[in-house]
Amino acid sequence: MFTYSLQGLELSTDVAGPTEVEENETTARSAVYQVLGSFFAATPAERDAGAASGRWSQELVAAAELLPFAFDIGEVPAPGGSPGADGGLGADALLGGEATPDRDAEVAAVCREYEYFGLAAGADGARPADHLATELDFLQYLCFREAATPSPRLAVSFRRAQRDFLDRHVLEWVSRLAERAGAEGAGKPVLWALERLVAFVTADRAYVAARLGS
Amino acid sequence: MSVAAPTNPGAGTGPAETTDPAGAARATEAGYRARWTWDRVTWGTHCLNCLAGCPYRVYTRDGVVAFEEQGGTIDPVTASVPDMNPLGCQKGGAWSVQLASEDRVLHPLRRVGERGSGQWERISWEEALTAIADTVVTAIDEDGPESVVFEESVEGGLLAQAPFLRLASLLGAVTLDANGLVNDLPTGQHLTFGKFSCASTVDDTFLADVLLLWHANPAYTSIPYHHFISEARYRGARVVAIAPDYNASAVGSDLYVPVRPGTDAALALSMCRVLLDEDLWDRGFVATQTDLPLLVREDTGRFLRQRDVERGGSEEAFYLWDQATGLVPAPRGTLDLGGVDPALSGSFAVTLADGTQAQVTPVMDRLRAHLDAYSPEDASAVCGVAPGTIRTLARTVAGRRCKILEGFNGPKYYHGDLMERSMCLLLALTGNWGRSGSGIQGLALAGLDGYLLFSMKTRTGVEETARVLDGVDQAMEGLRQRDPEATDEMLGNNLLALATSSGTSAPPVFFNFHHAGYDQTWNRSEWSDPAMTKPFGSYLQDAVRRGWWGGVARPGASQPPRVLFSVGTNPLRRARGGRARLVDTLWPKLDMVVVVDFRMSATALHADIVLPAAMQYERVNVQYPITHMLRLSFSDAATEPRGESRTEWQIFSALARAIAERAEARDLATYVDARRQTRHAERLGDDFVLGGALASDEDVLDEWVRDSADAGTLPAGSTVDELRRVGSLRFTGLGVFAPGLSVAADVRPDDVMTAFSWHVERLLPFPTLTRRAQFYIDHPWFIEGGEVLPVHKDPPRMGGEWPLVLTSGHARWTVHSIGMGNRHLLGTHRGQPLVILSEPDAAAREVRDGDSVRVANDHGQFEAMARVTPRVRPGQVIVYNGFEPHMFPRWEGANEVEPGMVKWLHLVGKYGHLRYLPFGWQPVPADRAVFVEVTRVARGGAAGGHGEEA
Repeated sequence: MFTYSLQGLELSTDVAGPTEVEENETTARSAVYQVLGSFFAATPAERDAGAASGRWSQELVAAAELLPFAFDIGEVPAPGGSPGADGGLGADALLGGEATPDRDAEVAAVCREYEYFGLAAGADGARPADHLATELDFLQYLCFREAATPSPRLAVSFRRAQRDFLDRHVLEWVSRLAERAGAEGAGKPVLWALERLVAFVTADRAYVAARLGS
Repeated sequence: MSVAAPTNPGAGTGPAETTDPAGAARATEAGYRARWTWDRVTWGTHCLNCLAGCPYRVYTRDGVVAFEEQGGTIDPVTASVPDMNPLGCQKGGAWSVQLASEDRVLHPLRRVGERGSGQWERISWEEALTAIADTVVTAIDEDGPESVVFEESVEGGLLAQAPFLRLASLLGAVTLDANGLVNDLPTGQHLTFGKFSCASTVDDTFLADVLLLWHANPAYTSIPYHHFISEARYRGARVVAIAPDYNASAVGSDLYVPVRPGTDAALALSMCRVLLDEDLWDRGFVATQTDLPLLVREDTGRFLRQRDVERGGSEEAFYLWDQATGLVPAPRGTLDLGGVDPALSGSFAVTLADGTQAQVTPVMDRLRAHLDAYSPEDASAVCGVAPGTIRTLARTVAGRRCKILEGFNGPKYYHGDLMERSMCLLLALTGNWGRSGSGIQGLALAGLDGYLLFSMKTRTGVEETARVLDGVDQAMEGLRQRDPEATDEMLGNNLLALATSSGTSAPPVFFNFHHAGYDQTWNRSEWSDPAMTKPFGSYLQDAVRRGWWGGVARPGASQPPRVLFSVGTNPLRRARGGRARLVDTLWPKLDMVVVVDFRMSATALHADIVLPAAMQYERVNVQYPITHMLRLSFSDAATEPRGESRTEWQIFSALARAIAERAEARDLATYVDARRQTRHAERLGDDFVLGGALASDEDVLDEWVRDSADAGTLPAGSTVDELRRVGSLRFTGLGVFAPGLSVAADVRPDDVMTAFSWHVERLLPFPTLTRRAQFYIDHPWFIEGGEVLPVHKDPPRMGGEWPLVLTSGHARWTVHSIGMGNRHLLGTHRGQPLVILSEPDAAAREVRDGDSVRVANDHGQFEAMARVTPRVRPGQVIVYNGFEPHMFPRWEGANEVEPGMVKWLHLVGKYGHLRYLPFGWQPVPADRAVFVEVTRVARGGAAGGHGEEA
């Protein structure tokens, strides 16, 4: 059974339905988003510790088992050196809004997405709505809801939402984030995770679009 | 924040007195450069009831709108037609001027003198809302929520309309159907097709071989779309203008056909006669699409029904006569006749259920006989068009793709339905609908699913949308069980009918008759159809007693109106019957008249409280969906609202809270409406905004857009942010609800949309009684009125026995009265009301151009400046629509001479498609072809004493 859990978002309605469903291709996608979200939600120290212990790769391998497309997880490199408090990234690097001309507008835009699909950005002090981990949490949720809903209409709605959210938000900036991380000498686990992320969201977007016929 | 009107480029910006030419040139250049600079660009449209939603770029500088220009960014749909660019007109191009008009309302105002005295005090929003809330609570407590009446609006965009409709719905109030007020209802199209959403995308105009501009003056009223007419001419189309006056559109036509006012049915029926006489009609189309092959009993004049032939048979199943096998049921689930070859002439014997025999004939046979009275020579004597021209015109239409561009003039004639039925018959005989370049292009509305879902959702978000849509699916399936042959369009109509019976919408005919004094005129038999055998009021009473109007005939005679809300409407300018009637008859019954508007309209001048509304460019909004463009057009907040003005969402959500507070304070937490439904006044504030989820206009709009995308009306994933970026979005479908389905067309991203193509290509039946385009209305009242088939009837002598016939039309320079405060637009014409009359009529009355004249009849009078022109035919007088009463002497506007007569046959209900649905079939007031006399009041100058007394 796959269980989803939200870290940066809160359910704003009581319509979420079950929290566990039989594992399948869609829960596998949700699970990958969950692991990647956890990685970017973690502190640099936690990331490094997870890399050293093999946690990330193990979790990703397990999550990706039923994926409907090829996804090369590779080896998580051992952390080397001391990349700093943000794993070698600037303090705001993981905020999608910072990659746009108007962060407030971007935050408002992603919040509207969350709200329309029954979620709310975290309360005061929680992770920002445009944080990469929050956005991946949202994708985890959308995939899970697609898998869990008994309504064919809603399943399509959640599937379309995945494609649109990837297009409008995540794909808009993660490649540049990966390039920037490389240029700025981010830690190896971060570079590995970003590389995996870019590969995954690109493949996932193509998969979702194919299922939608667009 | 202030708003400045654009200034004349260069004016006042350079040293005009300089003697240095080069310096002056540089200064002028600098002036221009300064004038055309900006620091922000947004999208804007004007949300007017002009059937357009032209995307404009709005340029602001230092928070002030500097100017706007046409967007011109709409992608071509297909290489086979020109693109829509550049949409726009002079009204849109001057919108920013009006932001700073002197007639803007900037603060909440309360009347302190007599109504209409012009004495006001400025009050706070809290004072205004509390005063209104208290009055509403009192009215509900004493006379029920049906005593609170809202005039529905067609101006201002969806975000201006939704808020007051939502409040009315939560209160259980009555909303007066907008189409019953403004009469843009093509009743003849509805009688024929069971609907009136017959308009293709406007680029389909380009594909026509023949364009008939009939009851339309697109050079005035469809400026953004007019280029398609010119382009069609270059493609080889023949453009024919049919109008009493040589109007601006006639100038650019290949043929001008002058028809006497109100005689268009005679012309159209004569053309039909020519088509039949010369065997130029499309037999296959007629047999497949229309009721002309259906059988009619010769003894009763009514359709042969299954009930006649079989005991317990249906009242709504009909028959054909197959030339091979004899009597066969007409299919109800399709227009496909299979192998049946229906007779279109002949008399046949049929055995009835009681064993007796009856003779039956196809409708077509009756039509042929009926058209005997419309030879070109006979028709010419009626309509004034030469017989040769009638024949030529009929031959021109035959065998070609013909499109009728009809505006809203036809429906405004008393017998406009007969004119439209005749025009539709012409299209039927020539196979001209459902194919590109054909059809009748009038009211062009569709549905925006998100907007339609809005009132059904009890919380925001996609889960609720799915729940509602699943519920709609289930309801449709339930209805389909009862009628397996019904199309989705018919089921959608049935679902809408169910919702309507418990909703707030009501045809205004009952309100006007019982409460606004219209009984006095509608019962005047000398101004009515001579076929009537009793007063109008008796027919109305009869129709209600027969249950034809179900639960929508309200507020009834015993239900006093107490509070009237007018939100962006202007009944004292618009109401046929005149300002005086409403002020003298209705107003004294009202505890409070509340006007929400951005300008001091005629109605605002007579209100008790006026609330200032934000204008487009000061708030977000979207125009209602229009099939002409097939795009959802967005208007952004380019600047802050002026003064204390607010959006309607802000106003009515605050009013909902105020009513809840006052109701609770006065121990009226709950109440029961006339339908025995418990209403919760104490929850009103929360229910209005769904517990806070819909806090702002943008929240509401985003919900609509996302829901529309989810339902398939807009591109998948559409959001308000996307609209903000691109300005407008093309529809991807017409949705799942009745308004969209009635267009009966596929929306393809790379093609024009052709209305009714489902009927022609897929052979889906029409939502009429007979499930075919229906020209034979065998309702007993129509039999009594002699209107079973389309017929010409002279306009009733509305206004009395006077020699001149007054017509009207939408003006070039304003959309209704909206632009009457716009100095730029006022400068494009004489800036005051005009009475346009012919040279012979003027000479006979010693009237010269510029004189002040009085127009009068037995109903009323008004005065205005005469404009004498050779383009108006003798006997006709034109006053264009939109002038405010206070632009006339003594505030007597042009509607003072209009009795606003209502056709009795439009009271018919419970006859197949003749049933009330919002914005649809209902009695509507006529204002064209009113009889008047014109006399000179003063020489030269403006009316009202500026000239020399005559």
